[in-house]
Amino acid sequence: MSSKKKINKKDIGKLLSRWSQQFTVLAPSMESGVATMAEWDGKDTSFLDWYRNTVIPPKANFFPPMEEMFSFQKDREGYHIELPLVNEHKQLIFGIRPCDAKALAILDMTFEEAYEDPYYLAKRNSAVLVGLGCTNPYDSCFCTSLGISPAESTDVDLMLTDIGDQFLIEEVTDKGKELIAKTSGLKEATETDEARAKEAKETSHNKVTRKINTEGIEDKLLACFDDEDYWEKIAAKCISCGICTFLCPTCYCFDINDELVKQQGARFRSWDSCAFPLYTKMPMENPRLEKWRRVRQRVCHKFEFYPMTFNVIACTGCGRCIRLCPVNWDITRVLESLPVKV
Amino acid sequence: MKGITDISHRRRFLAGGNVYLPHIVVIERIIEENPGVRTFHFNFKDEKLREEFTFESGQFGEYSVFGIGEAPFCISSSPTIRDHLEFAVQKVGRITNALHRLGVGTELGFRGPYGNGFPLDFLQGKNLVFVAGGIGLAPLRSLIWNVIDNRDKYKSIDIIYGARSPADLCFKYDLEVWDKDKTVNMVTTVDRGDETWTGRVGLVPKVLEEVAPSASNAVAIVCGPPIMIRFTFPALERLGFTPEQMLTTLEKRMKCGIGKCGRCNIGNVYVCRDGPVFSYAQIKNFISSEY
Repeated sequence: MSSKKKINKKDIGKLLSRWSQQFTVLAPSMESGVATMAEWDGKDTSFLDWYRNTVIPPKANFFPPMEEMFSFQKDREGYHIELPLVNEHKQLIFGIRPCDAKALAILDMTFEEAYEDPYYLAKRNSAVLVGLGCTNPYDSCFCTSLGISPAESTDVDLMLTDIGDQFLIEEVTDKGKELIAKTSGLKEATETDEARAKEAKETSHNKVTRKINTEGIEDKLLACFDDEDYWEKIAAKCISCGICTFLCPTCYCFDINDELVKQQGARFRSWDSCAFPLYTKMPMENPRLEKWRRVRQRVCHKFEFYPMTFNVIACTGCGRCIRLCPVNWDITRVLESLPVKV
Repeated sequence: MKGITDISHRRRFLAGGNVYLPHIVVIERIIEENPGVRTFHFNFKDEKLREEFTFESGQFGEYSVFGIGEAPFCISSSPTIRDHLEFAVQKVGRITNALHRLGVGTELGFRGPYGNGFPLDFLQGKNLVFVAGGIGLAPLRSLIWNVIDNRDKYKSIDIIYGARSPADLCFKYDLEVWDKDKTVNMVTTVDRGDETWTGRVGLVPKVLEEVAPSASNAVAIVCGPPIMIRFTFPALERLGFTPEQMLTTLEKRMKCGIGKCGRCNIGNVYVCRDGPVFSYAQIKNFISSEY
């Protein structure tokens, strides 16, 4: 039986300092009022008081909003291509939520499939994820409908559970186990601690009250795929701002563009969104010019196409697209209102 | 045909193991097909790659004009030609306009080959009916030369090719050779003739029905503007072709070329990863009609 450890909440700063020697430690941080996973400043642990979840999903730490793919320059011999310098320091993300850890596992499928994506995988494979169970999920959260528990995860390396003045630490992967073996200053957890953690997990789980029914969702979407009237109605108030895709932890669509200044240039990739008509525009035609087609694409990609390809729904119920939508568009209501006669 | 998501048979030519890094290629020759279309002959700068690079007819590459960007075009030459590669570009957007401004000796970036290509195993021993419109001949041309260079493996060849006007016809030098080839039935048509045009006049789907190639042991390979494709499939059906006997190659805005950037999907199918070559039977089974 793997022994479980614990740490006092007031000692989290010390723990992160210790890990900072080996890793670039990222922790919840408030940047211009937006919660994100950012490099820990070496002392501030006040996030333990305010952190519910980040606005910017942790996918941004592996698949940044904008990323240089390579630079190029021209001399008399022609063009030369150079890869950007990479940060050799491995990332340790402290406090990732189970929904967001699951989202990374979902993204892995796309970035590993057939042709490996070197930019994403280099960061991902070297990273350590330290999960922190939710104690206070949002009203918009519905992770439990997607087989995720707010305080449990198999997609992290270590999992922390709030048990009062302390966190219980569970080793989830070998990577996590190795890290704990090298980490001094942790105490052995007692049976009482474990019992308390179990209770805390159940409490968190029950706090997620928003539900969707995913049973047969693929078939239902297939059945109403061509119901143009329905999708028109669903899409009516969408303003195609794309925020639901940018802040979705599993959305990965990107664009590739060049920048050039005096024979010196670079190729970048940046987040793109199926919400935008330009996303699919070709010189002569555009298969998703109409808004309802784009809204249908977003819903069906997550709940129909991704499951068909990878056998998993590309949604973790993190609720960001509900919380942060400027017009209160709500995917859970869409899924509950599909015009399918059962 | 192989499962559409099985790409295990494809060879990969990765610069530095990174799928997004282009190889440097050099433009060796430029042919003005018509006022809006140019064919570029090019070669890899790296000599080893020149020797080793292989592809299948129907596959495409991502071509970069450094500083402007990257766009997908099929390789329009046949894999049976080993001394250079070709692609044809219609001037329609930002990158294609930039390409049209380039001269011989210019360096481009090239990634590929991507996509599935035409299923040669399936085509061998069959009567082939090529139906193309405008620049849609580019991907078919790669296959046509491939077939002619392995002539004994295939039965009869019909080529029905059309353009809006005589001036819009592409690859006229190929059309002449195929016209003289006694093993090929070459039919060229234009939507509207001019004072010097003595050939056929008529839209491709209509001319196809007039030529009326037999569907027996045949496969039709179709490529052209979407409107032509939409009318050609029903015409072929009237001639007795089943959806399994019709192949086409689809076009989409493909940025990454490898099924990741997301924009070229039709339902659960990615044109870049699962195509661009599909049978009409597959297309009819697509969840979405966004093709």
